[in-house]
Amino acid sequence: MRKNRAIIHALAIGLAILVLAPFLWLLRMSFETNAEIFAFPPHLWFTPTFDNYAALWQGDFRNSFLNSAVVTVASTGLSMLVGVPAAYALARMRSRSDALSLWIIASRLAPPPAFAIPYFLAYRSLHLLDTRFGLVVIYLTFNISLVIWLMRSFFENAPRALEEAAWIDGAGFWRSLLSVVLPTAAPGLAATAILCFVFSWNDFFFALILTRSNAMTAPVAVVNFMNYAGWEWGRIAAGGTMVMLPVLLFSLAVRRYLINGLTAGAVKG
Amino acid sequence: MTRQASLARQRRAFLTWCLAPALAVLAVVTLAPMTYLVVTSLTPLNLTNPMTAWNFHQPLLNYRLLLSDQRFLNSLWVQAKLSFWTVGLQMLIGIGFALMLNLRTSLLQALRTVFLVPMVLPPIVVAIIWKVLYTPDISPAYWLFKAMGLNVPALITDPNWALPAIIAADTWEWFPLTMLMVLAGLQTVPEELLDAARVDGANSWQVTVSVLLPYIRGTLMVAGLFRLVDSIKAFPLIYLLTDGGPGSVTEVTNYYAFEQAFNFSYLGFSSAITVVLVAASLAMSWVLVRMTGWGAAE
Repeated sequence: MRKNRAIIHALAIGLAILVLAPFLWLLRMSFETNAEIFAFPPHLWFTPTFDNYAALWQGDFRNSFLNSAVVTVASTGLSMLVGVPAAYALARMRSRSDALSLWIIASRLAPPPAFAIPYFLAYRSLHLLDTRFGLVVIYLTFNISLVIWLMRSFFENAPRALEEAAWIDGAGFWRSLLSVVLPTAAPGLAATAILCFVFSWNDFFFALILTRSNAMTAPVAVVNFMNYAGWEWGRIAAGGTMVMLPVLLFSLAVRRYLINGLTAGAVKG
Repeated sequence: MTRQASLARQRRAFLTWCLAPALAVLAVVTLAPMTYLVVTSLTPLNLTNPMTAWNFHQPLLNYRLLLSDQRFLNSLWVQAKLSFWTVGLQMLIGIGFALMLNLRTSLLQALRTVFLVPMVLPPIVVAIIWKVLYTPDISPAYWLFKAMGLNVPALITDPNWALPAIIAADTWEWFPLTMLMVLAGLQTVPEELLDAARVDGANSWQVTVSVLLPYIRGTLMVAGLFRLVDSIKAFPLIYLLTDGGPGSVTEVTNYYAFEQAFNFSYLGFSSAITVVLVAASLAMSWVLVRMTGWGAAE
């Protein structure tokens, strides 16, 4: 038995290294000069440089990074504002319709062109192409559904005695929602907001189609480095690292809720 | 009217007010565009030709063209291959890893987080990582192949290897999700059930195959179906690694719709392709809703 365990541990460590290696390699590349990146065979040791990051921060990339941050935060805030009360209502209503569930789940699972095409056409006539506002709105398509699904299960599991006591005391429904229900759901609210942030931040498809330059987000900007002559791998790696860093930290912080968020609550982790 | 009945009525009104704004916003941001998509699919809309907008002379033309469009039919076949292999491999690897992690030693608990990394990376970063791995000039993998004396072709530009290359990258990205779902399922298996099997003399392999896996078959179905719906959305990997090529060997239907709409400006035709995709994903979502009891009141 002990021997078995040792074998499994060795296997698990080996697999972990194998799974992480591609990711670590990109991290390493972001600290290398272009000459170092093309060195063959690759050098085991090298002097790390921050040149790639510095170059990014002095160029247009900073603006794209800012766009990503603004659009993501705005869309997350709006989705929470609209979605949380709805989730509470659905958790407390007795009847529930299959059609509504399907609608909400389908808007999360729909193939991206299903929204990209009509939004592109509408934004063209409304002059919303290449605006941050336009992105905020299209991100609502998946964020509101996400908020409703996640928060509904949080509210369902929350005890109702406290809010009922508050009504009896004459607190009013809004007051009891704001000062009794929401504080007890704080961990759920935080996890949900973070997941909205992650999904909006990760979007590539919508930003690719609906932005050109002014509102371009960081993921699209990184890919654009590939279109210039003489592929700047160091910069691509540094840009990729900056795009993934906030998401990686946030996702691992809410890893307990991750599966719930990614599957819209189909499986509770 | 008693005080209680009036409280109940007020409460219902309050809940309606909580729900209404979300439904209104959802109607504007999802239902209206979806309707617009269906309407567009009935026109030959092409942005280079203004006469084609709101032209309903032959509403079903796009759909008729689809049936005889070789490139569309090919894209369905590519999609079927991609979905089959990625979902299959992700299920197998996910189950394997979950069984391993389910031993729950402290080392395995710590490694669990490590295995989540591919899934939580932004998809475009995953695509960049694999672009690096598949570019012979700078790839550590190609250096290893060379050191071992293997002559490996540039996978993503080779018609025979481009799709397997995408499948490998997609499997790496998403096996953590099936792993997590299976792991969550495994934790619901009652200990007594396993003890009973062990008392009957089953070894650990038999316990796994004839007790554990059958017990969580519901979870397995949901995990597989979920990945299947999601596999229709594959985009960043294909966009960055192969651009649908070489030729059209990695051109899935979603990608074909993207090209028709945003490279060639055939928005009407592309809308028809997309409507077909939406119908497929709606059907699968419906099965998911039924299977998971999402819709039912408890």
